[in-house]
Amino acid sequence: MARINPDNCVGCKICMTYCTVDAIHHDGKKCYINQEECTECYVCLRQHVCPRNAIEAVELDGFYKQFQHVMSDPVENHGVTGVTGRGTEEVKTNDVSGRVKKGEVGICIDMGRPGLGVYLRDAEKVAMACAQAGLQLASATHTPLGALMPDLSTGKLIDECHDSHLLSVIIEGKCPESNLSNVIAALQNVETEIDTVFSLGLILRVDANGNNQALKCLDTLGVPMPYRGKVNVGLGIPLSLD
Amino acid sequence: MTHSLHRSGDIESQKKDFNWFMYQTKGVNDVGIKPKALAFIAAAEAVGSENWGDVKTGPITRFSSEEIRDNISDKSRIRGVFTRREQVIEFLKNIKEQALGQSVVITGVLSEVLPACQAAGVTPHSINYSLGVWGKKDLLPDEVTLSITTMCGHHMIPPKFVKHVMQQVGADRMTPEEGAAKLSNFCYCGIFNQVRCAEIIKDNIETL
Repeated sequence: MARINPDNCVGCKICMTYCTVDAIHHDGKKCYINQEECTECYVCLRQHVCPRNAIEAVELDGFYKQFQHVMSDPVENHGVTGVTGRGTEEVKTNDVSGRVKKGEVGICIDMGRPGLGVYLRDAEKVAMACAQAGLQLASATHTPLGALMPDLSTGKLIDECHDSHLLSVIIEGKCPESNLSNVIAALQNVETEIDTVFSLGLILRVDANGNNQALKCLDTLGVPMPYRGKVNVGLGIPLSLD
Repeated sequence: MTHSLHRSGDIESQKKDFNWFMYQTKGVNDVGIKPKALAFIAAAEAVGSENWGDVKTGPITRFSSEEIRDNISDKSRIRGVFTRREQVIEFLKNIKEQALGQSVVITGVLSEVLPACQAAGVTPHSINYSLGVWGKKDLLPDEVTLSITTMCGHHMIPPKFVKHVMQQVGADRMTPEEGAAKLSNFCYCGIFNQVRCAEIIKDNIETL
């Protein structure tokens, strides 16, 4: 946990410029970190921003603080998935893992991105809306948030984690391409019920030209066609042909 | 993680912004990756990758190439930046010829990336398409700041620091390139495009 040692702080406010979520405040004399707002991303620590070395790392007490740090600091590997960053594989090894197959669509919801952060109570709202719409949510084997979700069929998170503030966390799942419209419509509804943002990605197997007809449903729903993509170019071995 | 996918800003500017990645699959090809990682780095450097790094050490804008290479382990993630389609094509041709067996991902504007794949003779397998930002977008910083902060998809770049750099450049205390390098150092992965960032700073120092 990051904290500012009041004995060393001179109240210069330099550190406030370096907080990713504006969790560093000034009480009139000295700076302090609001622990409810802090995401434990450790940017203030790693960048050595304090000229008086007042910013300190204190041992993370308990599972939720550790989860918060691992999710918010990309240097850390997630313990189960073994993946750095937000700990998910999504499209990057799909040519080998074959997680998203032909006829399926992977949904990748980056809660809190870009840059606002997310309280897990808002992640729960989105996960539950998607599950209700037929998204099969990924388990803890594939995505860290699954560890906080005792029943993947509902998307409900354990109550104790609701007030954890993370720089971001990914809700991941998949469904048949035929159900994509339902999931997108559910997201259109729930986006008005949360106090943050999310960035949305759709993972699809594509033809040799990089196309998939499943995207056509976006027009009907009034969602602009995507112009950016993360293209897995199919050089992994063994290559999944499913 | 989808840390390269959701970049924003002027589309013409994004067309000069590509990310390359080497990925290992858990339980399949995630042991003894260092020789393959070094081959990827060599292929990227051969075509002038403007930035690259390993999240376990940091980017070349902050650490030496030797230090990053020496620290590579099976937990490493090797990735970097290109600014031209031609670099992507030559990189993919080289990696395909070596048949290293690791997954390769190129992120960028699809009207640039897909023709590059075709020219290199590789066939896209899967795509993660960006559908942009949803929710309370009125809470977000301005578009110019976002076009810089989203180049570190883990959002290690504080928006207030972007403003600070802009002000420093505006006051002639640093050049746009120096400002871009400072911002690049926040992105441990090495996927921040400091060349594009310097252009954005130059184009916008009057407005911030």
